[in-house]
Amino acid sequence: MSAAPHRTETSGNPQPAERIHDLAALKTIARELRRQVVRLVAPTGQGYVQQGLGATDIFTSLFFSELRLDPADPAWPDRDRFLLSTAHNTAIFYATLAARGCIPASALESYCRDGSPLEINASERMGPVVEATCGSLGQGLSVAVGMALAGRRQRRPYRVHVVLGDGEMQEGQVWEAALAAGSHRLSNLCLLLDYNRMQVGGHVDSVVDMNPVADKWASFGFRVDTIDGNDMAQLLAAFERARRDDQKPTCIIAETLVGKGAPSLEGILGHNMRLPPDLAARALDELSGEDA
Amino acid sequence: MTAGLASADHKVDDFIARGVTAPLPRFYGDALVAAARRDPRIVCLCADLPGPTETDAFKQELPERYIEAGIAEANMVGMAAGMARCGEIPFLHSFCVFVTRRAYDQVANQIAYPGLPVKLVGFLPGLTTMLGVSHQAIDDIAMMRALPNMTIIEPSGPEQLGAAVAAALDVPGPVYLRMKRPDGAMASLQARTIQRGRGEILREGADGTIVACGLMVSAALQAADRLAVQGKQVGVVNMPTIKPLDTELVIGLARRTGVVVTAENHSIIGGLGSAIAETLLEAAIPVGFARVGVQDTFAEGGTTPYLQGKYGLTAEAIVDGFIRAAAKRASMQVNHD
Repeated sequence: MSAAPHRTETSGNPQPAERIHDLAALKTIARELRRQVVRLVAPTGQGYVQQGLGATDIFTSLFFSELRLDPADPAWPDRDRFLLSTAHNTAIFYATLAARGCIPASALESYCRDGSPLEINASERMGPVVEATCGSLGQGLSVAVGMALAGRRQRRPYRVHVVLGDGEMQEGQVWEAALAAGSHRLSNLCLLLDYNRMQVGGHVDSVVDMNPVADKWASFGFRVDTIDGNDMAQLLAAFERARRDDQKPTCIIAETLVGKGAPSLEGILGHNMRLPPDLAARALDELSGEDA
Repeated sequence: MTAGLASADHKVDDFIARGVTAPLPRFYGDALVAAARRDPRIVCLCADLPGPTETDAFKQELPERYIEAGIAEANMVGMAAGMARCGEIPFLHSFCVFVTRRAYDQVANQIAYPGLPVKLVGFLPGLTTMLGVSHQAIDDIAMMRALPNMTIIEPSGPEQLGAAVAAALDVPGPVYLRMKRPDGAMASLQARTIQRGRGEILREGADGTIVACGLMVSAALQAADRLAVQGKQVGVVNMPTIKPLDTELVIGLARRTGVVVTAENHSIIGGLGSAIAETLLEAAIPVGFARVGVQDTFAEGGTTPYLQGKYGLTAEAIVDGFIRAAAKRASMQVNHD
């Protein structure tokens, strides 16, 4: 993997945080973030541990390698935007923000405590690192389209990234936004579909069959890239391809495994799962080994 | 032109029942273009209704700042929020029902909660459409009032449509503009400003006060005339800002006159009448009170005068409301004595 910068930085702008392109280093970060997900969820014994472990590689690759951001200036106008449309997948989101220096590590201590800005569903109460309050499902992509349109009109260099859940595709507004993004050929927009096949009622295809997913996005005018969302090299390559396309928005269908990294949790469909102390301890133990 | 084929002259597409064939004046739309020329942050979004929302001029004159959202209001609200977060001031347009009822969750989460400077502009308020229940916004004020951070402005008529743009821009956060287009030529119109958060006393009267908004303002003035013939001097207030309400004015007039009648082109539940009732009861004002508006019912399609007559949105209904309210006030005083 090349360590060269993705693109020339705009002169005169603050220098964004250095980005990491070394696969081994990113995998090490991901392993620590997975441990952090379990640690965050363990005290309450219930939460979004499965989604967090599944999406860890997406968050790691995005925040440490792809996004142009400045942890010291979260409102830097030319920052790449990141929207978590599902909004409840916060254990991994907050763990990543802390590890990247976007929020103080000490902030994680208040995670999900009463009065804390780190609510289980991410709200802009916690500051500008939450670009929009989502979680009422299906809304993040619309906001992202507006940001991408504004960026293009103002000739700003930022890109807009959205993480969307696969069950979330059942919301009709997603397809309104998809139509708009395709119609406006928003090549500065990159959608990451966290394709973990899990929603509250069970396996996504058993609730409402969304297939053929890739064909749907392609037919709405997206360049579609189906990858293993737990493979760091594939994620980085997919971001690179997205950046090169100057005609279409990109949809990266990132196939992820819920509970990834802790064999005792892998593949267990549990939307808001119970995580008793013994299971948490076992998962931490499993996650303490060497990187593959 | 071949006979029998529609020409551009035949394109009406404005959803208003009207007798004249001349183009309708565009007080709001022209004011928006003028404001956008002064402020480069203003952008215009529209859900496939450029003519009926008077944004056709914007589309033509500032096309790079005009976003056609298509028939997708929920997405339009989200897009406007994204644009506002990147420094723009979006005015988004559709009919009142669609920017409120249809996209309520999106308005709540993406615009009201963050308090973004997005201006939600709706036309066809209340019963003012032939298209019936699907297009009649009788609950939009109620919904928008319930949202924290939201300002609601309804011009009294064509004379305040241009001022609505300035009033909306005067608010740093979200605004819901509820507007009725003129339904005929308005040659001798005298433009009037809107003072945000302030009611406008149009007529003084010691025997009671009618507080009205939108098209009910002219009905209120007619009602006051009729009551004057009966020897009752009743004041009329235009209340173009429904939230925040000019509570000081309402309380003062209620204390002085003892009778308050509200009149609105909206359900009596949750709108101007409710807002004033809440204000007066919380201030413990002993007052005879009546609400004129749509009486908790769905209507149907029809011309505006027909529907106003059928659903009690008339000067007569306001006169009746005043008589009821004054009688209640009198009985309160008797009981008190």
